[in-house]
Amino acid sequence: MTAAERSTAAVADPILDLDDLGVVFSSETGDVHAVRGVSLHVRPGETLALVGESGSGKSTVALAAIGLLPGNARATGRARLGATDVVAAGENDLARLRGRTVSMVFQEPATALDPLTRIGDQIAEVIRNHRPLSAREAAQAAIELLRRVGIPDPGRRASAFPFELSGGQRQRVVIAMAIANDPTLLIADEPTTALDVTVQAEILDLLRGLAAETGTGVLLVTHNMGVVADFADRVAVMLQGEIVETGPVEDILLRPSHDYTKRLLAAVPRLAVAEPGEAPRPSAEADAGTESATSGALAKFAEAGGSAESADSGGSATSGQSAESAESVVDLRAVTVAFGRGRGAVRALDDVSLSVRPGETVGLVGESGSGKSTAARVALGLVRPTSGTVTLFGSDLRRVSVRARRSLRSGVGVVLQDPVASLDARMSVGECIAEPLRVHRRRMSSKERQARVADILDRVRLPRGFARRTPRELSGGQRQRVSLARALVLDPRLLVADEPTSALDVSVQEAVLQVITELQDDLGFACLFVSHDLAVVQNFAERVVVMRAGRIEEQGATEVTLLHPGTDYTRRLLAAVPVPDPVVQRRRRAERQAEAAQARPPGTAPAGNDGGPGPETPGGTVPGDGPGDGPDRDGSNTGGSGVNA
Amino acid sequence: MNTYLYLARRVLQALAVILIVTVATFCLLHALPGGPARGILGPQATPEQIAQFNHAQHLDQPLPVQYGAYLGRLLHGDLGSSYTLNEPVSQLIVQRLPKTLVLTVLSALVGLLLAVPLGMWQAVRRNKPVDYVITTLSFVAYSTPVYFLGLILVLVFSHILPWFPAQAPQGDSLAQVFADPAGLVLPVVAGAASVVAVFSRYMRAATLENLSEDYVRTARAGGSRRGAILRRHVFRNSLTPVVAMLGYYVPVLFGGALVVEQLFNYPGMGLLFWSAAQSSDYPVLLGCVLVIAVATVVGTLLADIVQRIIDPRVKEGRA
Repeated sequence: MTAAERSTAAVADPILDLDDLGVVFSSETGDVHAVRGVSLHVRPGETLALVGESGSGKSTVALAAIGLLPGNARATGRARLGATDVVAAGENDLARLRGRTVSMVFQEPATALDPLTRIGDQIAEVIRNHRPLSAREAAQAAIELLRRVGIPDPGRRASAFPFELSGGQRQRVVIAMAIANDPTLLIADEPTTALDVTVQAEILDLLRGLAAETGTGVLLVTHNMGVVADFADRVAVMLQGEIVETGPVEDILLRPSHDYTKRLLAAVPRLAVAEPGEAPRPSAEADAGTESATSGALAKFAEAGGSAESADSGGSATSGQSAESAESVVDLRAVTVAFGRGRGAVRALDDVSLSVRPGETVGLVGESGSGKSTAARVALGLVRPTSGTVTLFGSDLRRVSVRARRSLRSGVGVVLQDPVASLDARMSVGECIAEPLRVHRRRMSSKERQARVADILDRVRLPRGFARRTPRELSGGQRQRVSLARALVLDPRLLVADEPTSALDVSVQEAVLQVITELQDDLGFACLFVSHDLAVVQNFAERVVVMRAGRIEEQGATEVTLLHPGTDYTRRLLAAVPVPDPVVQRRRRAERQAEAAQARPPGTAPAGNDGGPGPETPGGTVPGDGPGDGPDRDGSNTGGSGVNA
Repeated sequence: MNTYLYLARRVLQALAVILIVTVATFCLLHALPGGPARGILGPQATPEQIAQFNHAQHLDQPLPVQYGAYLGRLLHGDLGSSYTLNEPVSQLIVQRLPKTLVLTVLSALVGLLLAVPLGMWQAVRRNKPVDYVITTLSFVAYSTPVYFLGLILVLVFSHILPWFPAQAPQGDSLAQVFADPAGLVLPVVAGAASVVAVFSRYMRAATLENLSEDYVRTARAGGSRRGAILRRHVFRNSLTPVVAMLGYYVPVLFGGALVVEQLFNYPGMGLLFWSAAQSSDYPVLLGCVLVIAVATVVGTLLADIVQRIIDPRVKEGRA
């Protein structure tokens, strides 16, 4: 948005005006005040970000603004949308408003669309809810909308079912439905949380472009400060149902005044970025590929992997190598995992070699479908590789007996992503933690077991009394510490953590990561840390392995690989991460978009072809078919690229 | 998956299931005490007469040999002859099956036409009086034995209120059955009651689940009204699990027909099965079980195919 636009926005009447909004949920245990005394407004063309941690009430405010609160919720106060008070309006008035004056983009694109209805029909339905068009005209308009949101070949894609689309494309369809009738207010509730970073960047670009194009006001609900910095003009911070601070994005993110905002921002893991000019020129690096000279560690690893491979094919191992694998706690050599057979087979891992040395933390990063979780499962011995060898604590997993494999496994602890699903709800916390002892230390008396459980609870800084509670009574962060306690109860030499903090709020994430770090210092276990969050990995891991489509893209020391990446892919991945500093982020976005524009052959518009984890391939769209190619584009910080850059 | 490949695989699976069913029934029947000779020749028969009968019917041969012979004849379409009715079983089935099909298909149709809207209505009015009333009625309908329900129906709608005949249409041809539609009403209602009870529950649960899905919220956010959302989205999505259940409900329907036909004196498969069971008429019993097995397998197969038509994800193996 230009300065001129911003000043006109400032005088325009707000399109959404919340005044002393309250929301009460009635539950069996009594009333819960989810939102109290919230007053805020959104003017045409501006984006207000509503931020806060889980349970802060930010999504409830968003739902109240469009009148979609669940049945057991009661709203008080006023929520003026245009001329209507949403709080007082009846269902009929609201139905007239929704999809025309106000519309919404949801968090989970996987479930937001009717699985049995073609996407074109779902968009046409929203159009025909508000405009007197024939079915044929609406279908045509739906195709136009699909084109606008950057779906390649929209005429054909309109008859696709949601399951035939990738997550990013589905979110584009949801956005197409939201903008179908040019609403004055767009509510976006965590619109990119379920998406990979590169797709997130595209979706944010798309939303930003569409909003700027039509002067639509945006109420953005998010927990991600990077997204806020990338998108918002103003920010309102929520804590326990109340707004604690409101202001322009620069003020809130760079000079917060409220204590809570300061704490929240301090807990956000920050991606260290190379200063402009410090980074090697992309063009010079492009040909170097994985053999990048910037990463010495990488070169060493490529060498080790290469020699192991040749040794494998030769059928003999050199002494140097066996020393190398004896050194590492886990060692994957040329591992390939294929699921299925014949033509339908999927290569989840393709020639993957990596190792974790004692005491070291290795971050395994990549987008969804890159194979990072599969690699972790191979390391755990849970997935048998189709080819290649896995060495755990110096023993080849294929060559040892079942009993020996079991005892090897007792040296590995596991923490998984979902703190709710990974603990048995019918067991007490103490039983959950003690279970590995029952399996692997059969001779232990129950007294010794209890003592061990109490000791490990101390270690993860949970009260000993928690042993008698059930996982249900604990918060997400506490549950994840219980998982950690269970993983560490056998004094493992290796901890495999698969997205251990991605379901947690940033402040809780920080605490959990800190506990892991301290315990690692004390106990000296190695850690294979799987994560999609590059900032977390950068702060947490010594070495990093970047995966893409089942292959290792590059690996090396974290400070080298994630600061001066050797491959284009890693560079794109890093460039797509929004940083929680609006000034820096604006510059990064401009650079990213300029680079993307450069990478495209001239005359082609980018398209939302985010089907795979690979880079965006330019779609077959012709110039001039998208609004992004029109004149009078806002060129101040969108780098002059289209809405769907 | 390719549709033809899928169909071929499913038909092979179906044949295997039917084969297993025949083996199981054959063994069970021969494990019964008494045997057919006693049933047919009566309690006065001498051991010599029984032995003679058994020899004539090859019942004195080892079981696997008997089964092999049965299977061999089955492949030629020969289901054997009834001991008591002196007619080929295949002919009996050809005569009786269409009538039972009329009864069961009508019961299922009427039942579903009531159950689906009732279930959706309950879901929309969850925990309101309507929901409680229908829930109570369906539990009553489900827990009332068909026999008892039939008697009540006859008592009320035939004796007290002379609206419908107490007997199902008689006669051997379908034309005669359809000539007397009033006679079909009470048997069909008796058969449909449990269908309504069971499937309104399924439909209620499926609708409730779908109403809380995200796509309903998306449709509401787009300005769609409740009725339209139910009609366009929730209905089809809720129907898929219900259709899947329908296939497994075929044997229950046949079981219901057994009682209903007996009660209303309707000469279909059920009545045939009933009298064959009483006289240990092995070939007829085996034939009936075979027909029910085939009907069940065909029912599930049809349900799967309908599901593939409703839900595009099933075809891709993603559901």
